[in-house]
Amino acid sequence: MEHKKSAAFSKKMRSMKNYMKRHWTLYLLLMLPITYFIIFKYIPMAYIQIAFKEFSIVQSVWEMEWADNNGFEYFLKAFSNRDFLYALRNTLMLNLLDLIVGFPAPIILAILLNELAFKKFKRITQTIVYMPHFLSWIIISGLALQLFAPTNGFVNIFIQKLGFESIPFLNSSFHWVWTYVFLGIWQSVGWNTIIYLAAITGINPEQYEAASVDGASRLRKIWHITLPGIKSTIIILLILSLGRILGSEFDRPYALGNMLVSDVSNVIATFVYTNGIRGLQFSLTTAVGLFQSVIGVIFIFGANSLARRFGERGIW
Amino acid sequence: MKKIVSMLMLLVMVTMLFAGCNGSDDSSSSSKDNAESNESTSGGDESTNGNSEEMVDGKFVETRKITVEVFDRGNDGGSTPEDNFYAEFIKEGMLRDHNIEVEFIPVPRWTEVEQINNLLAAGDAPDICVTYDYPTIQTYANMGGVTDMAPHIEANKELLPDLFDLLTEQNIYYNQDPNEGTIWAIEARLVNLARINTFIRKDWLETLNIKEPTTEEEFEAALIAFRDNANLLLGGEADRMIPFSISFDVGWRADHLLQSKIPSSTTEKEHYTLGFDDRHLLMPGIKDGIELLNSWYNDGLIWKDFPLYGSGDTTEDNLMKAGYVGAFMHNWDYPYRNGDDSINNSLKRLAGDEAGYVAISPFKNDSGIYAKYRTAPVDRKVFFPITNDEPVASLLYLNWISQLENRMFLQIGEEGVTHEVVENGAIRTIATTGDKIMNSPSNIDYTITINGLDLGDKALTIQSMALGYVGVDSSVIQQAYEKSTDGNVFLENHNFGEITAETGMGPALSEKRDTLLTQSIVASPDKFDQVFDNGMKDYLNSGGQAIIDERTKAWDTTY
Amino acid sequence: MIRSHKTKIGDWIIVAICLIIILVCLLPLLTVFARSLSSADALIKNKVLLWPVEFNLDAYKTVLGDSKYVWALLWTAILTVIATLTSMFMTTICAYPLIFDSLKGRKFLNAFIILTMYFNAGTIPNYLLLKDLDMLNKPMVLVIPGALSVFNMIIMRSFFYGIPVSLRESAQIDGAGFIQILLKIYMPLSKPVFATLALFYAVGRWNGFSDALMYMNNRRYYPIQLLLYNILNNIMQVEVASQEGFTMPGMSETLKAATVMIATIPILIVYPFLQKYFISGVTLGAIKE
Repeated sequence: MEHKKSAAFSKKMRSMKNYMKRHWTLYLLLMLPITYFIIFKYIPMAYIQIAFKEFSIVQSVWEMEWADNNGFEYFLKAFSNRDFLYALRNTLMLNLLDLIVGFPAPIILAILLNELAFKKFKRITQTIVYMPHFLSWIIISGLALQLFAPTNGFVNIFIQKLGFESIPFLNSSFHWVWTYVFLGIWQSVGWNTIIYLAAITGINPEQYEAASVDGASRLRKIWHITLPGIKSTIIILLILSLGRILGSEFDRPYALGNMLVSDVSNVIATFVYTNGIRGLQFSLTTAVGLFQSVIGVIFIFGANSLARRFGERGIW
Repeated sequence: MKKIVSMLMLLVMVTMLFAGCNGSDDSSSSSKDNAESNESTSGGDESTNGNSEEMVDGKFVETRKITVEVFDRGNDGGSTPEDNFYAEFIKEGMLRDHNIEVEFIPVPRWTEVEQINNLLAAGDAPDICVTYDYPTIQTYANMGGVTDMAPHIEANKELLPDLFDLLTEQNIYYNQDPNEGTIWAIEARLVNLARINTFIRKDWLETLNIKEPTTEEEFEAALIAFRDNANLLLGGEADRMIPFSISFDVGWRADHLLQSKIPSSTTEKEHYTLGFDDRHLLMPGIKDGIELLNSWYNDGLIWKDFPLYGSGDTTEDNLMKAGYVGAFMHNWDYPYRNGDDSINNSLKRLAGDEAGYVAISPFKNDSGIYAKYRTAPVDRKVFFPITNDEPVASLLYLNWISQLENRMFLQIGEEGVTHEVVENGAIRTIATTGDKIMNSPSNIDYTITINGLDLGDKALTIQSMALGYVGVDSSVIQQAYEKSTDGNVFLENHNFGEITAETGMGPALSEKRDTLLTQSIVASPDKFDQVFDNGMKDYLNSGGQAIIDERTKAWDTTY
Repeated sequence: MIRSHKTKIGDWIIVAICLIIILVCLLPLLTVFARSLSSADALIKNKVLLWPVEFNLDAYKTVLGDSKYVWALLWTAILTVIATLTSMFMTTICAYPLIFDSLKGRKFLNAFIILTMYFNAGTIPNYLLLKDLDMLNKPMVLVIPGALSVFNMIIMRSFFYGIPVSLRESAQIDGAGFIQILLKIYMPLSKPVFATLALFYAVGRWNGFSDALMYMNNRRYYPIQLLLYNILNNIMQVEVASQEGFTMPGMSETLKAATVMIATIPILIVYPFLQKYFISGVTLGAIKE
């Protein structure tokens, strides 16, 4: 009996040794990144506790007192605040719109660019199309106002000259949402095509040649070769985007928002900025952040499992 | 090429290993140690005996060191705030007069509160800090992050004559908690008592043969005249006419009009319980003012696009400079600031030499006074974080910076360089470049206990102030100053201790207030009541009512 | 990509669409450019749309004549190169081991890493950490804390997945070690993704300023975008003005526009240089033999 056990044990040890002998370089490579994550990500994470505690600027995390209601005081505070609930709704709404309209856009554009027959033109287009990404939202909002202001905006002046009524791009809640989404697409679509273009270059050109020989039309080639070729990239990016469904950009809504559309332009990030950061309510800020993180993780778990069910490799 | 790249990578990896491996990983311990080691010193036992320990003739026997916060505005052509001519002047003076070494810690103006948060958390905050927002200090104090100044002030009163002189007891004890006796911060002195003004286009009035409005009806009539005579006044650009301009910060930009609606019979209690918002949102009568603005807006008398432009957007200023705006309310000297680039000067350049704005007083309240309700002449709050272990030295610094000759030098600088003396003895400031440039007007960033020019003699000060505007006749400035200060009513300061309902609510309530007022003005007249009342309900439900209630209770229990 | 040289209607439609897109993307930048070349008065009267009015180069002369900006440009360029190399190195050594199914603890490591994308405690904890590491106000604080982006790492890893397993298996049979396989097989085949991620890191570092805002007080090491932020930050000015009772003269609009151009153009130029790495997978196909 003893013999068998120790034999099994030493067999395990030997296979462990063999495994390490073969794989030690991989672990060596991983050492530096893991250290990095521990130091720069996990150690500060200890402070996430303050979501459940009464923040004090002079105490260390471990000394701070627990918040009321079993530590959930600030979560309750957030959820009982009407503004927070509106911000939550707006964040979801704007992010969903961004996803539905904005996620396919760079894919379509990448395919379009790929189909361009004229090499030089393709290069020029690629370079120009990603330029808006470099403008900060402060600048873009200034330009947007120049164009879309109800009485003085160039576009509205033009529309009025044609005899129509000016369009409230930025001062009506409904219109503002679409302006917000489309400006977001304009700013990021070119940039986001880069990943897809890189993915497309990984497709074996022979496949296209074979298809041509078979007499396939352009559209069929795109559908049967290009798209499947970049499918894994699309899935990964989709999963990651879903994980950010409650994530909240600050710059865009802050820069584009104004008091007439505050019922749609207030998002979680601006709520946290006004109440948490400027109001010096640190525990509240962290509680809201934690809430966003947890939901985000739930979403990527869900998206990942769904992807796996379809036979795709997930992100872990 | 590949070899070089891999060598480079190896180098980077090795460097990183060394760089990253310094110090301990335990981020929690250091701030903890700091907090602990300082708990004893701020208790007051060391410093109340400050006198006996070290001072001879107001000078410390052993050199003390303190750090002082100074704003870094990052302005173009500015000097390094911690190390320039004026910083040196202060350092030399402090060393000479008190044997105190001063070090300035620059803090970026735009992210000031975040930086102070960081520094406080890390135990690195400067010994003397400055902020405009008292609730911030109250929040820090509640966390135990601020030194109580009361015992130190009491013990060292004789050493602080200039501080008491300048600030007066009112400002020093302004924030003293009546129950605990704690003073978390003292208030700097506001000497420039002009705040807001109403401006109108003098040339347009002349062209249309209207005299300067002295009543609300006359003012409205002038606006209507501007609108109806757009072709005459602006020719081909008639469609750009803006009789009255305003911004989303309605409370500030329509202040005179709104304040004139507050009944003069309003009691002191009402001023205390309802007047905590610095734009007077809850005061009786305000709704009438907003309703008037609403009718003006719908009659085309107000700039249609005003709600879309946020703080700092220059569009409205450009409209004024280009000559399209007939009247507006703003800071008391707004059109005259910034030298050649000022609104008035740009107006002259772009709309002709006679064009210009002049200050007027049209908004009388029901007693016929141009009432402007003000809190006491307080300004910035100066406080000592808990990490300050030289409270006496810090107080001496504040005293030194409040001495007339010292602060005057900081405010006007060297003769011939940053100012010149005119015939009647008044001072005219000169803009300069290089190390002696003033990064902030009158070096306000250094003179933290005062806001506004003070040359000792009131008349001389006003005359000198009036000379400080390029391209504008000093009589215009004087008129602006008079109109702006006429009717100043300083409300009594009532301090019943901390109002907890106000903690953390400031920015959120201000935003709601601005949204409510803006939306009310823009609404169609038949919807006005609904929009205003709903907005007000939201304001009250989100914390406004709680503040009113707590204040009422505080008042009632005391009186 | 080899195509038949007969251009069809479809080609022209695509060209038309691309032209529209180019216009829409280019025009705003052109506006800023035009503004930087116009006179201040023209901007006040809002006369500038796409073409400079009252053309002058004063704004550029002022900005480029100020050593503060020139130095910031140079420093940001140096910083960007160092940061990009560091990040590419870190990303590669992190992504590569994770593609091996045989690696024990792989699932755990993946989760361990990905979770860091979501959980973040805020400015103060990060500040305290950097203070304890004694990294504040040192140039390395702009390189190391942001060295490894999990997002980019995932991208690289999925690219590596796309490389046929057969290639590495045959190499392993030949006795190649893991590092050799990385250097000799994976890296050469990953040019597109390396170019992409290098671009992402470079642009991220060039455009980033929020870390410098909080952790870098030494003016010598301010990245150019931080200077731009200070200039454009009129957002706070009005609040400050009503508190302080005065306004600081902000920079003129033309100067602002010129600074924006100067801060943006250098990084825009990088992409065209990297474009050659985005050519089609001729390399991949060739290796198959």
